[in-house]
Amino acid sequence: MANSNLPRRIIKETQRLLSEPAPGISASPSEDNMRYFNVMILGPTQSPYEGGVFKLELFLPEEYPMAAPKVRFLTKIYHPNIDKLGRICLDILKDKWSPALQIRTVLLSIQALLSAPNPDDPLSENIAKHWKSNEAEAVETAKEWTRLYASGA
Amino acid sequence: MENDNVVFRNGNPVLVAQPLTVVRARTSTGGGARVLATPPNQNPNSDESDACKASIIKVKDEPREFEDEAKSVTVAFQPPAAETVVECKTESDERRSMLAFDDFLKATNTKVASVDESLKSMEAESTIQMKVESSDVDVVFETQESVKSMEEVPNLNVVCDTQESVMAEPVKVEPVKVGPVKQPTLAEPVCAEKKTVCDDEVEVLKVVKGKEAVSDEVRVLKVVKKEVVEEKKIQIPNLEDGEFPVEPGWSLLGRKIEIATSTAKGVRRLVDNEIIYFDFPNPHTSYKFQWIVRVSTKRSGVVGRLPMEWAKSVIPLVQSGNVKVRGRCIATPYKLEMMQEIMLLVSFYVHHSVFSESVDTSWRLEACGNVNSAAYPLLTLLNMLEIEPYRKADFTPEEMKARKRVLKLDSDEVSVIPVNKRRKGVSEPLPATTEDEQALSESALNKLVGAAEVFDLEEKEAPKTLMCSLKPYQSQALYWMTKIEKGGDDENAERNLHPCWSAYNICNGRSIYVNIFTGEAAKKFPQATQMARGGILADAMGLGKTVMTIALILSNPGRLKSEDSDGESVYDNIFSAKRRNVDPSSNLEGGTLIVCPMALLGQWKDELETHSKPGSISIFVHYGGGRTSNPDLLLDYDVVLTTYGVLSASYKSERENSIYHRVQWYRVVLDEAHHIKSHKSQVAEAAIALSSHCRWCLTGTPLQNSLEDLFSLLSFLRVQPWCSWQWWTKLVQKPYEQGDQRALKLVKGILRTLMLRRTKETKDKEGRPILVLPPTDIQLIECEQSESERDFYDALFLRAKVQFEQYVAQGKVLNHYANILDLLMQLRRCCNHPFLVMSGSDTAKYADLSRLARKFLESHTESSDMCCESDAPQNAELNKLASNFLQNSASTSNPIQSRGYIDEVLGHIQKGESVECAICMESPDDPVFTPCAHQFCRECLFNCWGTSMGGKCPICRQILKKNDLIVLPSESPFKVDIENNLTESSKVSKLFDFLENSQKYSDEKSIVFSQWTSFFDLLENPLRRRGIGFLRFDGKLTQKQREKVLKEFNETKEKRVLLMSLKAGGVGLNLTAASNVFLMDPWWNPAVEEQAIMRIHRIGQKRRVTVRRFIVKGTVEDRLQQVQAKKQKMISGALTDDEVRTSRIQDLKMLFS
Repeated sequence: MANSNLPRRIIKETQRLLSEPAPGISASPSEDNMRYFNVMILGPTQSPYEGGVFKLELFLPEEYPMAAPKVRFLTKIYHPNIDKLGRICLDILKDKWSPALQIRTVLLSIQALLSAPNPDDPLSENIAKHWKSNEAEAVETAKEWTRLYASGA
Repeated sequence: MENDNVVFRNGNPVLVAQPLTVVRARTSTGGGARVLATPPNQNPNSDESDACKASIIKVKDEPREFEDEAKSVTVAFQPPAAETVVECKTESDERRSMLAFDDFLKATNTKVASVDESLKSMEAESTIQMKVESSDVDVVFETQESVKSMEEVPNLNVVCDTQESVMAEPVKVEPVKVGPVKQPTLAEPVCAEKKTVCDDEVEVLKVVKGKEAVSDEVRVLKVVKKEVVEEKKIQIPNLEDGEFPVEPGWSLLGRKIEIATSTAKGVRRLVDNEIIYFDFPNPHTSYKFQWIVRVSTKRSGVVGRLPMEWAKSVIPLVQSGNVKVRGRCIATPYKLEMMQEIMLLVSFYVHHSVFSESVDTSWRLEACGNVNSAAYPLLTLLNMLEIEPYRKADFTPEEMKARKRVLKLDSDEVSVIPVNKRRKGVSEPLPATTEDEQALSESALNKLVGAAEVFDLEEKEAPKTLMCSLKPYQSQALYWMTKIEKGGDDENAERNLHPCWSAYNICNGRSIYVNIFTGEAAKKFPQATQMARGGILADAMGLGKTVMTIALILSNPGRLKSEDSDGESVYDNIFSAKRRNVDPSSNLEGGTLIVCPMALLGQWKDELETHSKPGSISIFVHYGGGRTSNPDLLLDYDVVLTTYGVLSASYKSERENSIYHRVQWYRVVLDEAHHIKSHKSQVAEAAIALSSHCRWCLTGTPLQNSLEDLFSLLSFLRVQPWCSWQWWTKLVQKPYEQGDQRALKLVKGILRTLMLRRTKETKDKEGRPILVLPPTDIQLIECEQSESERDFYDALFLRAKVQFEQYVAQGKVLNHYANILDLLMQLRRCCNHPFLVMSGSDTAKYADLSRLARKFLESHTESSDMCCESDAPQNAELNKLASNFLQNSASTSNPIQSRGYIDEVLGHIQKGESVECAICMESPDDPVFTPCAHQFCRECLFNCWGTSMGGKCPICRQILKKNDLIVLPSESPFKVDIENNLTESSKVSKLFDFLENSQKYSDEKSIVFSQWTSFFDLLENPLRRRGIGFLRFDGKLTQKQREKVLKEFNETKEKRVLLMSLKAGGVGLNLTAASNVFLMDPWWNPAVEEQAIMRIHRIGQKRRVTVRRFIVKGTVEDRLQQVQAKKQKMISGALTDDEVRTSRIQDLKMLFS
């Protein structure tokens, strides 16, 4: 997609993301495609993901902001609402998308999702089952995975 | 233990000869082979189990005389000596595979000539347990002429000892399927070995057993082939120089002279015209010999070998089974020396199976440029034979691979379109250059796609139901469109060779066609546009594409009508409509669907109604709230109108089940089809997914920004292969971006049949312009700023300049592109009227300018009141607003917004601070408030809803209706009380002068274009005060209102001025009622202005059109003119990425100089 047709909103959002990043979140557009963002989210404190650095990719489709951005975890993560391909089960990325939302708000929501896993609306059945049957153990696994895959290496 | 192709004659199995095949020719033309198998199982039908058990077969070569037809030579085998034992172990896998391979050879008609050490080594390697104990085969030649030299006999014996020569049986002999069966395991497990003694060479023929079905069958056959020597008139015995037999299924492709090197010597070793045989290695041949092809003659045995290069190119072809070679020697020396050159005339045959039955348009790209010569041998062959295509493909893989940048210096066509490609490093694009600003100018477009020569098109009479007369060029379009819809355009087809296929003439004078990308071959003509029933009607703006389309619809409204229903179509329609009502077919066949931008919906409906005979077609506008979702309803109408927005919204929510996608349309017409130019956008996907018999794109600008735009249209039209992104990028997009002008050539080739494009300059047969319009007169009105205006501007300019230079110093110009453009925007607004700056987004920023603004106001009027503090009337408005919000909150059980929040919002309004629209993140140009006290641009909100009727609040998801929206009083965006303010900028004064003049002295109507609706706000009061009646057309209006405004403007005598926003009125509209155009502010791109002028200067315009472009001297506008000129160059000229980048900075510097 040609960058020269980039809507101003995307430019504005990008500038703001770069100039005033949200705490624990960094997002920067790719050099050759301004609609593609490399995202890093720090695991929220007091969550099993604390200490982890999670890489994500975010893509703004042609229709953005009338359509939701496409976001995916690149770092492996043990979370009932995130599947092994990194896809995220989050309503605002799907039917609850509103053009008043932004990249920033989306990423904040994902960060919040890390703090509050929701096994009742799972994407990974197994993890969700694990979470519901033995939360302590599941949390341990999540921590383990965080150490294994998201320890900033 | 015998084979089906052995016929038992007199108790002796005899190999059935097929005189038609080459191989047979060798083995049996002279007579027949006599076969004796031991233990001879004489019953041809008993074999299977025996065959499996068979382990040792003895072949007895009986010294029997053979009477061949020629009767020239009789060869006898001496019984005791001619005992060959072939051991066949069917259990052995190796054996199996070996046999399978033999089978393969047979199946593929591969002929492997005998006598080769390579075969020996093969034998050894593949551990074939086959012993040819033929050392004691003796062949006695009883040649009548007895010319045969005795030395040849031992020679023969040696050969017999060690060799087996494998000859593939031609397919004809047994019903073994010919084809490139390559997998040995697929082949029949067993075939027979047949020893053939041919004159002075020994051959082992593998005989394919009869039926494939009998797969377990193992048959081993010993065939002792009797020597067959043709009688020759020449004094040379055994000379074989007859015609090659004609074999069905094989056709001669061409002949070529090859030079072999002799490996034998002797007098008359070779004779002119003598047939030579090629001994090709097989896949089992050891590596060492895999590229060695020997040649032999029946008479003299191996005489030489072919050069390795030749072998390397031919062997794969022969092994593919689809190619056969035959040869004879020419210019033979009397005495052959070792290492002498032997000239061979080699004929190449291809099997018919290489030609695909139907021309394959599946467009596989995997093989692109890397033809699998085994599967598709033709290309290699044709190249080898140096057969030149008589029609070359438009595009070849070699060209694709040639990466060199064919530069534009020699071609003015190459870079007429800006290349929108990813740029490394320059991540900051031209943000403000929105789509239309980058639009191509008409001239650039013409250069690219060319304008059609219309002479070669016939005219088609307009249908009687069309209530207006068509101009000749319009009738031509009708003819063209009708013809395309009918399809099967034969005469044209010849012209439109598929761009990936080349046409060749082969030996027999026939044409064959080869796809140069895949190597596929066909005898049928591969046509370029088989798939597309439809095309692009790309006549320039103003030529009446709508009318042409209506004529098309009327002449053939849909599937239930006869092809040419001019006559009784009225009745037809009635009946068909009834029929449809009675029996809505299960697959929901519809009529014509027209998709157009919202602004044109009404116009389409009007034109359809006014141009068609009442009752001839039924029209249904499917738009707006409460529209049906029952597709059956759509079927009752001949024409269904809808908008891109509605189409994409329904596709978005229901995908293929949407009301539009469930209907099988007869025809889909996309008006202003460049709306789908981004092929990944929802709207493009929705349009492409529609199913329809015919597809049309109407657009004056088939390419707007980049070549990529075209891809989307081609996808919609389903033009193979260009609707595949892979093909498009590989063949067009990438080469184009690399500056390869052939890409454009290809594009032209694609469009040649698909697109009809005429411009106003297009001439008819007699050389007259096809359309004569009254002239246009474009004037540049330069305005001089007043002193106070100038002061204000200068102050603003200085600020902007400081800011800009700061960016330059930091080297961050491109990073701050948006900001800079914002600065420029303010300057440009200021040129229209200083108030526009004050009303702009960040008013606070300009607080320091208020003194100057005040001065400006004071210089003109006494009542100059900067309403920085809200005055009474505005307060009243605010209170109304507040109560509105609160009421809303109170009316629901859950207060929507807290009082605090509402106060805050009110505070913003009061202070004149605008809150940015949450959707576009700009300060709203035309703000609306929701009852939940959220603010958006009207346009953005409607966009989000997909309709203007209502939807959820994007922020709090509350359900809203259009009527719930609250609009601030129009004054409120201004901090200046324009009501009481008489100050006019120099531009405004000039405009009023012109308007008043035209009001007084003529009845002409005028249209005022500006980019800023707030500018119109400023104009409204002065217009009223001067008693100039006016109408306004901008994005704020709903579709109904738009229609009403346009209708009123067309009819009215009082309101003769139309204020029109460039964005809302730029495209599609027909504004021929007016003849005066005022362009109040220069646009970045002249193409947009051109578009606007075209609204007025188009078909139906009867007066001379006067266009006045307003420029304020010595300001940024003035310089913008220069940038415009340069931009034109940038679009049409060739600038590299780097040049473009630096030129952008240069542009900006120029603006701030």
